[in-house]
Amino acid sequence: MEPGGSSGVGSVNSGTYTPEIAESLRFEEEIQSLIDPSFDASSAAGGSFTALLGLPANQAVELLHHPGPGEPPASAASSSPIAGDLWRLRLVEQHAVTDTLRLPFGCSSTFPSDAALVERAARFSVFATDDSPASSSGGGLSPELKAEPPDSHSPPTLPVPAEKPRRPSKRKECEKSKAKAVAKKSKSAEENTSAAKPAAEENTSGDKLPYVHVRARRGQATDSHSLAERARREKINARMKLLQELVPGCSKITGTALVLDEIINHVQSLQRQVEFLSMKLAAVNPRIDFSGLDHILSAECGPLAMGSGCGGGASDPATWASETAASTGGIRRMPPPQQIWHLDLVHPQQSSTVWENNGAAHPHFLLSPATSLVGYDPASSVPLNSNQLKTEL
Amino acid sequence: MISSSSSSSSPSSSSSGSRKKKMKPGLTAQAETKWQTAAQEQVYGRRLLEALRPTGGAPAGPRAVKEAADSALALTARGQSRWSRAILLGRCRPRRKLLLKAGGRIRRGRRQPRSSAPVPLQQVSAELRGKKVRDRLRLLGRLVPGCRKLSASGLLEETADYVAALEMQVKTMRALTEALSAASLSAGATGEPGS
Repeated sequence: MEPGGSSGVGSVNSGTYTPEIAESLRFEEEIQSLIDPSFDASSAAGGSFTALLGLPANQAVELLHHPGPGEPPASAASSSPIAGDLWRLRLVEQHAVTDTLRLPFGCSSTFPSDAALVERAARFSVFATDDSPASSSGGGLSPELKAEPPDSHSPPTLPVPAEKPRRPSKRKECEKSKAKAVAKKSKSAEENTSAAKPAAEENTSGDKLPYVHVRARRGQATDSHSLAERARREKINARMKLLQELVPGCSKITGTALVLDEIINHVQSLQRQVEFLSMKLAAVNPRIDFSGLDHILSAECGPLAMGSGCGGGASDPATWASETAASTGGIRRMPPPQQIWHLDLVHPQQSSTVWENNGAAHPHFLLSPATSLVGYDPASSVPLNSNQLKTEL
Repeated sequence: MISSSSSSSSPSSSSSGSRKKKMKPGLTAQAETKWQTAAQEQVYGRRLLEALRPTGGAPAGPRAVKEAADSALALTARGQSRWSRAILLGRCRPRRKLLLKAGGRIRRGRRQPRSSAPVPLQQVSAELRGKKVRDRLRLLGRLVPGCRKLSASGLLEETADYVAALEMQVKTMRALTEALSAASLSAGATGEPGS
């Protein structure tokens, strides 16, 4: 146990939760680096975190504070390093007080200075992120939960059900990647003080305490370490399963090593494909008149309320008008991108004439890029029926 | 989500709005769903085009194109994943990345041999202790940018996101090259009107 780490956690817990997100991130980062040798600080460098996002610092901080109505808990979780351990208790909170406790978080972005309250609230807030629909029975449980701060403190080692692994991943998207390591640290610090209690709690907890959902099966050790290990294993297994679904042909392979083999092969093949396609793109590029690209962007920006940045907006109504004229009937299947791709090479002045020419005389030609781009934008063809392109930049 | 809130530069179309709601329940499966939406393809396509435009003047080497494509992909990830941040950081200034890594992280070198068991208190499962699995995981960590020293669970999550992103990248680039080449063929065939 590293005193530096625990002191770090302690100092954060001591409630100077002035929303210094950067500071807390740095704490978290240091704690994690103390605990977790594999922590890659470059990815979560506290100061440059916002820079990485490409956002102004205050905006990012604001995001962390108020990511949205449904996510004050997420911001709380991301700001509090100890929230990391709380993802374990996720199970628990399903019924929990998340609802009741979420309110205070939703109201203010500053945390109470009471360490216990903070920890409890953070814990429940983490749960609230995902269980808002499920936490319907929270009301009656709140007094119960509030009456048991020590107990809620102690069973941080509850095993994780299958759905839990997804929640830490959600936290990850809140820029908090290794909080679990921190969790382990703080949890083990707590367990040193109340080692017996958690075990006893967990064994019987399933009946009495609704938020303590213990998966301590009969015959399995309820030791904090093994529970944590089991939780971690389940998390890893869940992620492996997801990867298996993602990589084609992995579902029928059994055995972690073989699956990993497949995944590695898939990643390598994808990277090679990207290289190959980039070579191809580079070969095609010199023949492209890049001035036409401006028209692509502007044509797609024009119909959208995107802003005045898109140049050539004046020509767009004309082009769209001709496009609608041309794309009657059979060409409806082709979304405008095809014609826009086609415009890519044509001088912008000629766009309307080219369009009508191609629309009327060369429908078959336009269909060939259509076949390739239909796969590209299958979903966008639906909104494009209204000749509206939805793009986001 | 941060991505939805930070889309100040992008109009929140209804598709992105619905994506916001979908991504809330916090499933790791959203790693793939978020990359598979057509809007993402368009976003990435636009970014790629913008990135490729400056190189249109000078003959674009394939490596430059690939790097531009990867940077555009990492940008589209909006910095939510480790690999995207690693790519962006690596591109802008190689020294900056080193500085970030070296700053106060001296322990990293010492702990490297134990990269598969990050937390000393835990006992890794029997499977994870297997040498083969560990080797594979290390290999995977080398493949995914910025994930060399990562625990198994973090690495797997990054890999899922990375695979989804790569698939989207391949799809988009393929469509782009086909469209551009088809268009260039047509322009070559019909000749530039008016020029």
